[in-house]
This record gives sequence, structure tokens and C-alpha cells, in this order.
Amino acid sequence: MTSYSDNERKKLKKNSSELPSGSVSGKPGRRVTSALGVWDARIVTLISAVCILVMAFILYFLISESLPVLKATSLQDLLFGMDWYPQEEPPALGMAPLIVGTFIVSLLSCVLGIPASLAIALFIAEIAPRRVRNFLKPVLELLGFLPSIVFGFLGMTLIAPWLQQEFGVLTGLNVLTASFLLGVMMIPTVGSLADEALCAVPDELRAASYALGATRWETLSRVVLPAAAPGILSASLLGIMRSAGETMVVLMAAGGAAIIPRSLMGPVRPLTSAIAAEMGETPVGSEHYHALFFAGFVLLILTLIVNLAAERIERSRRFR
Amino acid sequence: MTNIAVSSVITGREDRDAGTEKDVHIGTRGLDLYYGEAHVLKSVSFDMYRSSVTAFIGPSGCGKSSFIRCVNRMNDFIAGARVTGELLVDGDDIYAPGTDVIALRRRVGMVFQKPNPFPMSIYDNIAYGPRLFGVTDKDQLDDIVRRSLEWAALWEEVQDKLGSSGTGLSGGQQQRLCIARAIATEPEILLMDEPTSALDPLSTARIEELIRDLKKDFTVVIVTHNMQQAARISDYTAFFLMGELIEYGKTSKIFTAPDEARTGDYITGRFG
Repeated sequence: MTSYSDNERKKLKKNSSELPSGSVSGKPGRRVTSALGVWDARIVTLISAVCILVMAFILYFLISESLPVLKATSLQDLLFGMDWYPQEEPPALGMAPLIVGTFIVSLLSCVLGIPASLAIALFIAEIAPRRVRNFLKPVLELLGFLPSIVFGFLGMTLIAPWLQQEFGVLTGLNVLTASFLLGVMMIPTVGSLADEALCAVPDELRAASYALGATRWETLSRVVLPAAAPGILSASLLGIMRSAGETMVVLMAAGGAAIIPRSLMGPVRPLTSAIAAEMGETPVGSEHYHALFFAGFVLLILTLIVNLAAERIERSRRFR
Repeated sequence: MTNIAVSSVITGREDRDAGTEKDVHIGTRGLDLYYGEAHVLKSVSFDMYRSSVTAFIGPSGCGKSSFIRCVNRMNDFIAGARVTGELLVDGDDIYAPGTDVIALRRRVGMVFQKPNPFPMSIYDNIAYGPRLFGVTDKDQLDDIVRRSLEWAALWEEVQDKLGSSGTGLSGGQQQRLCIARAIATEPEILLMDEPTSALDPLSTARIEELIRDLKKDFTVVIVTHNMQQAARISDYTAFFLMGELIEYGKTSKIFTAPDEARTGDYITGRFG
């Protein structure tokens, strides 16, 4: 309802009390309220319309700026071409290495990050005593606020030189370094969402399991984890999405070579880092410029797919 | 057998006759329960008999639910819970050091106030306990599932949808599913904590009927706030007040000629 002042409310009350009893009492008051309600609804509608409009313009801008690239290069060459030499004349705009780079880095980061997140969530939600939990949960959430450039910096100054020195690899800025950093970065988000999914499992289910003679581990693995699985899965998908969209860490630590890497120690150039690195250097309206917008569009489609999958899983949980 | 002699001396009064006829399944000797500072049960001593239904009545917070949670040691999960005295199941003190709590819980099944089926299929709900024991044979599990559901008078209604989720059943069906799940492991004792408080009268009647059948095979201990229910289904009734066992005896005696004025007052609704 509306938030009119105390004075107005008194006035409304007075109006309705002044009516002769027996008539349709309180009607004027109600009319005023509903009028205010309509006005409120209009404001809310307007604000949300503006938001949706802004989103629509972003999407329109992204698509309209990316489509012209198709005049110069075919969609097939764009998506599956192996050469990304945008500065050449004519430019080679094959994005396959960039797309593969995004895939490899986000998948590997999940392989590293999700098990760690789950282990932490299990510890916080199920094993740690209350006091430890009350300390660890805020710390975990706080870690989520670390700017990504800090992670990139750590990768460049600590991990990359260490890898080069200890394993004699060509460059420490590679798939593994970037994926490791992204994996660590997703732990706060995925871990605390998974923790919430575990805590949302009703205690009655745990009690039922224990009462049947189950041990703590049996209860955890056979009742609690399956019951929390949809929530954990959608948390993990959110982690994947975050990895795929992350820019600063891959820009700093992935090596930046637009090639399909032969090993985990090879450098890559994911879509995001290509856009970030090249957008400032390219003339507005050039093929390269439009190709970069197209890269953004591809990224949007990728994250959209993951997002829809997450939503679907969420829905299946609600209907269970 | 020596337990019977001891128990009839301790419980005294009208149970002396019953005690010699039946054998004692659960006995307590000066049982005290504390939740931190709170003294929840005060020196409770009495015996419950095999293959009978014992009802616990008393106002909320009198300790009856806490008592049945002592019998399968579910109170262990409550921080600060402490038990002194003896609680004997088949003559063994279950609070003695070295007691295998997991094994105890397999002998003592429990049905909770709110139906709490696992979010898995009806079949998997029933098979949960037997699988914990290590039963993996499909035919054997099929057998157990069918027998348990028949026992709980649910088979007819769910035999065609054993694969569908247990949480999709109605409240009364869910509670019978929980009963089936509890008896699938063939415990000796079945603890029921207000099993019908969340159910409609029809489902309640079905479950009461079921409890009367179950006592052939199990010793049933049931907490209830419904006086009529206690009178209808139980053989023995225990009246608790503020953590003390005020009166215990045959249900017919408790409901018609209680020794304690407070018992009569509670049953006739003068307080509580």
C-alpha cells in the first residue's frame, strides 16, 4: 500500500468518521486510497519500464553493432575460423581460439573451484560447531568482495613466476594459472550458496535418518546431499557463468595468445580478455570493432544458456 | 526375568498383577534429564511392557516428548542435554558407557509429530533403513517394501506409484509412509511423538486403527494431547506433570478411577 503521512491518514479517518452512519461508510476514504494506489502502481510501472527499456537498448546496441561484421566475414568463418589476426589487412576474424579459450578456462576453473566450494560448504553447514560457523560464514562472504584485479595481480606476481621457476614452463601466464585463480574466486559465491542449500534441508529429515540408525556420514550422503542437490547444482552453474564472464583475471593471467592451447601450460585469450584488450585500440566502425561486439554477443548467448539451465533446475526443485 | 520382580516392586500399586503377566521391555530407574540448567525429567521410574501400547499424557512442556527421545537417544543431538539414572531396554542400560547408539536406534523406531518423508520415491523411503543394514538384494528389498506398506495399511493406495515422490502424498498418507519406513527395519519398539496432531480426523482414525494392529508385533509408546485417543488405543497410560511422573497404570484405571486428584483433573479438562 501507500506510504502517506500521519496527517493524511488522520484526515482520511476523519473523513470517513464524519459520514453519517448507515451510508456506505468509509467509501471516500477508500477511493482516496485506491487513487493513491493507482498512482503508486504507475510510478513502479514507469521505473520498471525504464529499466527494461535500458536493457532492451543494450541488447539492441550489442546486436546492431555486431551484425555488420557478417558483411565482411561469414558466420561460419567467424565462429569456427582458427585465425584471429584482427590488425592485418584484410583482418582474419576467426573466433574459435577465443571461444575455446573461454570454454577451457571456465570449465577447468569449475573442476578446481566447485569441489573446493562444496567441501567448504559441507564443513561450514554440517561439520563445524556453531561458533566456528558463525566466524567462517562471514569471512567466506567477505572474500567475495575482493576485487578481481587483486586475484590477477597475485597470479602475475606470485603464481606465474613460481610455475616458471619450478616447472620450467614457457610462460607462467597460462590456462592453469587463470583457471586456478578463477576457481579460487568462485569459492565465496558458490560455497556460500551451497551452504545455504544445505542449511535449507529441514532438520526433520536429518532426525528421521538418525532415528533409523544412520550414522552422520550416511545421513549426509544419502539424505542431506540429495535433498540439497538442485540448489548446489544451480550454485555451481552460477559459478560457471561468473568464470565465463570474468575479465580482469584472464586478461592479466591467461597469457593472451589467440591460439588453441596444446596443454594446460599454454597461453589462451578468452573472449572477455580479447574485448577488453582490443576495444580501445580499434577504429570505431571497422570490421574488428564489429567483430568485438560480436564476441560480446557470443558471450551473452553462452551465459544465457547457463542461466536458463540454472533456472530450469531451480524450477524442478520447487515442483518436487 | 528378574527384572519383572524388581519392576513390580518399584512401580507398585495396581501394576503388580500386570507386571507378572507381561514382561518388561523398557524400564527406567530414577531417570533425570537436564537441558543445560533446565531439569526436564525428575527421577522417573516405571516399566513399559512388551507388545502393549503405552500412552503418555500431560500438558505441553511436561517432559513426555523429551522422555521418548531418551529411549532412542535422540536427545544426544541437543547441546547441553544430560541424563542420569538408568534407562533399560531389555534389561540393558542404554546410557551405559560403550552403548552402540546406532544399534540401539535400529531396535527402537520413531515416528515424528510432523510427517517427514525423505524427498525421494516411496520405495526408496521404505528401503532407506534396510539399505543401511546392508540389504542390497532387489527381491528382498521389494519384499520388505511391500510388507511394510501392507503393515502400515498404505499398500493398496500406493502400489501403482512406488516410484513417485513420497512428498507428493497427502498428510495422512505421508504419516503412514513414515510409519512404514520406521517398521521396515523391524524394530522391537516404536516411539510415536504425537503422530496424529497434524492430521485430519479420518487419517487419525486410520492411524489409530493401525497402532492397535501394530502392538501385536511391537511395543508402542505414544505421546498424545488427545485424551480420547489415549483412552481408545492404549493399554497403559502415564501422566506427566512438570517433568514428574504423577501416575502410571492401566488405561482403564487411570481414566475411571485415578489415584491422584491431579490426574483426574487433567483428564476431565480442569487444567492443562
